[in-house]
Amino acid sequence: MSPALWLLAPLAFAPWLRVRGGRHASALVAVAAMVEVAIAALISFEVIPGVELAAAGDALTTDATARLFLLVIDAIFLGITMSAWLRRRVNQGVPDRGALDGLFAIVFLVAANLALVTNHILLAWLALEVTTVAAAPMIVRPDKPGAIGASWRYVLFSTIGLGVALLGLLCLTRGHDPAAAGSYFFDELARTRAPAGDGWRPLGVALVVLGIGTKLGLAPMYTWLPEAYDEAPSGVAAMLAAVQFNCALVVLLRVLQLPDALDGPAPGVLLTMGLASMIVSAASILATRNIRRLIAYASINHAGVIAIGLALGGPAAYGVLLYAVSNAFIKAILFISVGKMEHHYQSKDMRDVGGLIKDLPYTGLFLMIGTFALLGFPPFGSFLGEMLILSSLSATGQLLVFAGFCVAIATTFVATGRSVFPMIWGEAKRKATWPRQTAVGSLPKIAFMAALVMMGIYVPPQLNALFRDVAAALGAH
Amino acid sequence: MTTPLVVFVLILLLPLFMASWRTSLLGLAGQGLLMAWMVYDRAPALGLDDGAALVDLGLLRGLVAPIVLYRVLRTRGVPRRNDVIPPNLLSWTAVLVLVLLAFRFAAALPMPAHERPFVAVATAALLLGFFVLATQVGVFSQMIAVFRIENAIAMFTLGMPAEHDGWWIRGVEIAVLAVTLALFRWYLLALTPPAPAPSEEVP
Repeated sequence: MSPALWLLAPLAFAPWLRVRGGRHASALVAVAAMVEVAIAALISFEVIPGVELAAAGDALTTDATARLFLLVIDAIFLGITMSAWLRRRVNQGVPDRGALDGLFAIVFLVAANLALVTNHILLAWLALEVTTVAAAPMIVRPDKPGAIGASWRYVLFSTIGLGVALLGLLCLTRGHDPAAAGSYFFDELARTRAPAGDGWRPLGVALVVLGIGTKLGLAPMYTWLPEAYDEAPSGVAAMLAAVQFNCALVVLLRVLQLPDALDGPAPGVLLTMGLASMIVSAASILATRNIRRLIAYASINHAGVIAIGLALGGPAAYGVLLYAVSNAFIKAILFISVGKMEHHYQSKDMRDVGGLIKDLPYTGLFLMIGTFALLGFPPFGSFLGEMLILSSLSATGQLLVFAGFCVAIATTFVATGRSVFPMIWGEAKRKATWPRQTAVGSLPKIAFMAALVMMGIYVPPQLNALFRDVAAALGAH
Repeated sequence: MTTPLVVFVLILLLPLFMASWRTSLLGLAGQGLLMAWMVYDRAPALGLDDGAALVDLGLLRGLVAPIVLYRVLRTRGVPRRNDVIPPNLLSWTAVLVLVLLAFRFAAALPMPAHERPFVAVATAALLLGFFVLATQVGVFSQMIAVFRIENAIAMFTLGMPAEHDGWWIRGVEIAVLAVTLALFRWYLLALTPPAPAPSEEVP
């Protein structure tokens, strides 16, 4: 049995949710996530003896891309669920969301893992579709009338984006070998070059970029993202931004790892979508006064940076990976912190919040650290990743994109700082009571922060080897 | 072009010119059933894979989806008229141009001649689906656009060389489509306000 199949183990917790009637749903989901992290670690560091990695034609794979992102998304999912569970233990006023949401969370987790380890293009697409279907009901909150509309638009855009991506994936199978039955396996497709003059592969890659770009929140199909992140519970927003984002990214990486993938219109499409996303997000960050929307627009900005890096191919590959992984941790820290802040102040408006560092010291501290990392300050991994992408832009002679990139980043920097820093250090706006803030409750965020700093200063050799292997698959030397 | 493909194009076009939600649903049902018939016609000795395709196209897309949406709209007492595209000469011209473009596009792609009509019709269905999506803001019309796009993708796969993803993947696809359909029903119920009761005539 492929070790990747072990990743289905959390589904065994689903019947427990029914037995317990949802009373301890968040605790059960956290335990399921712990099991998944343990399995992911066994797979990622290859500690299971005698494990054969996927051979050609296997439906599941544990290649470097899968191993790197398994570690990242499972660790983040565990952090998010632990955070939710600890928050409920400390503050009894926070309701548990019940058995059904617990079930959706487990299905989401398993499907997200499956999207990373699958070698079969239809299975990868189906896994992404399942993450969407599982996440959509979790966005809805009974006390938020706008949430169901946001959830619908999330499903609508996701279905359309994934539909376009599926069409692209099907075009790739046509381009493989027109004389014989096309292959549905990424590794088989990666071993063959498209015949000269074959239009299917470039068309397929361009469609996948457009379709997955919608899932990543790239312009022009980004409008679902701010709304969904704004209306969803903070944990769900973190799951979408940090977990689902990376699952979609992995499917895109697998397509861009194919030979000739960047020979057609794909780099142009990626550069255009990336730069447009950065400009749109910078303008939106300037205009918004809603902290959740600000993080959502920053996510669009990150997606833009990643798209530009991917368009450059090999030279920027390592930077893109570092940037993508760092941003997953940043978004998780920020959404968890904002969830707590929102509960405290009963407002998402940044003008209603002040003196956070005194009022909610841990939340204020993490919001500050998250914002610095978001803006690409050293010593975080996002800084190093962004620098590597910028230097590749200049090395490859993309000076116009370089200039646009710098303007968008500078605007984002000023707009974010102008809104967020007064919240952290400004005068307290409102006296509010809060049971207590414990260091234990902040453990997941401390772990996320440690990971962020680690990626900026010292990446352990085993992890670095994974980064390098994935970058090499994208053409890095 | 085979007769079923010509009929498919007609089924794609007619609901765009007849502004009623019942016609839209009939169109969806027609698309699903016609594609199921094409699968059956291609391989009358049904294997597991073809059987799964029949369930997907004929049962789920051709019958269950339209019936589920019909029941919700009837329960809500939604008025008969529902424009799928703006009712003006510009839209009608755009529809015809999109169909022509789809056929020109398919002619430019490298593929065996017998596959070309499938790709042309699938591209036309896809472009029309996007046109509906781009011009409508109502939840029901957007759902119709989504189903049109999904059907276009199904038509695209019908024209492909006998591929084999395996019946189990088809099974997962059917399960995901069924759950998506349930989710759509939920959204349609939640986001479609009940029609106001007719006010009594005052003499």
